[in-house]
Amino acid sequence: MSFRIGATVLIDLNGNAVQSYGFKKKRILGNVQKVLKFLDAYEVDEIHAIVPLKGEGDDKSSDIFSRLSEIPISTPLGIGGGITERNIGEITKDPFFERCIFNSAIFNNPELLQKAKSIMGHQSMVASVPFIVDDGLKIYHSKTNSFKTMKDELWKEIESNFNEVLLLDASAEGDKKEFNFEVFEYIKFPIDRVLISGGLTKFDINKAKKMGLAGVSIDNFALHSEYSIRALR
Amino acid sequence: MVNIIDVGLGNIRSIEHWLGRSNLLYKRVSDVSSITNDVIIIPGVASAGEYMRRLKERNLDKEIIVRSGQGQKIIGICLGFQILTEYSEEDGGTECLGILKGFTKYIDGYKTHNGWSAFDFDSRKLSKNLHFKKQRKKIVSGRVYFNHELEVELEGAHAAKLDNGITSFFIQDNIFGFQFHPEKSQNTGQELLELII
Repeated sequence: MSFRIGATVLIDLNGNAVQSYGFKKKRILGNVQKVLKFLDAYEVDEIHAIVPLKGEGDDKSSDIFSRLSEIPISTPLGIGGGITERNIGEITKDPFFERCIFNSAIFNNPELLQKAKSIMGHQSMVASVPFIVDDGLKIYHSKTNSFKTMKDELWKEIESNFNEVLLLDASAEGDKKEFNFEVFEYIKFPIDRVLISGGLTKFDINKAKKMGLAGVSIDNFALHSEYSIRALR
Repeated sequence: MVNIIDVGLGNIRSIEHWLGRSNLLYKRVSDVSSITNDVIIIPGVASAGEYMRRLKERNLDKEIIVRSGQGQKIIGICLGFQILTEYSEEDGGTECLGILKGFTKYIDGYKTHNGWSAFDFDSRKLSKNLHFKKQRKKIVSGRVYFNHELEVELEGAHAAKLDNGITSFFIQDNIFGFQFHPEKSQNTGQELLELII
């Protein structure tokens, strides 16, 4: 299967695409409609549109998703951030996307994951795993806005519930600091179903390709055309 | 007026955007009485068990089978293609529409098939198919997007296969099945649409 060059778009609650740096600072990039249309025209392989709620409550993204549904793009789209039992029926009633991206539900909400799988199919399920490597692997839990130690049992749950994993190097996000490949010492998930994001350099992208990863998801560097998608494929 | 099957599942909005970009008229159909005699699209992005349950609940399963037998053009995309077969292994085993002789099984080793593959299509090879649109442009060449864990195995039928053995698409008379997502295959998908509808 071809190596995929995707793009991550973070969306704030005002409907703006934002760039996040190291999981802390944010900068507005512009209207999300324009950003998605640009990425569509640029023919990235897929788009991951995520509302990063970071403990801000989880129902606020429904309106954002509703607005996204009106944007007529022809690029595969995954959405995530604030998909809950309360709004999943509404969000999946009229889907304009192919993939559902989850973070908090990975930790403690198998019912929601089961429901999403039964509606959308297992092939649509993507686990978003922002991480830091600090005395072992710690992964981000958006509902509590904190990093937690990754337990081996959780990998079994992830493998059972998810088609792919999107690993985000939180400390390198928004910068070209180099992706921390040390994370693969801790990963217990088939690497041909792993996408990586955060801090990616061209060297990292080539390394990911050689390792046999599913692909990468690059952030605003795609928007600034700093990477030629075709050249990287 | 293209009929898009709407049982509250599948990426219907993406299909609408795809048709809209080519200025095709469409409507969602949720019950038997609202289906017209034009093309019927069965979208993808759902699981077979739940999708078939909802089709049966609305008697749309029988209606699609009858209309396909009468020669109405049916386009199945991804899951929509898989449920045209007799049976799917998904959701512990699901009886499907049986319009195509064959079945749908998990890709060997429960692998997944996600991403883009090359696509070359020459409509002159189907010049005898009266359900195929005749137009000046005959060849579509580019790449198409796949996202699936199950694959279609057809009995005795010649289907287009990828290098990895996965059935990419199948066209016979009025039945068009695509394992990939033409609605999310950028320019290639759009060019294909203009050949098939």
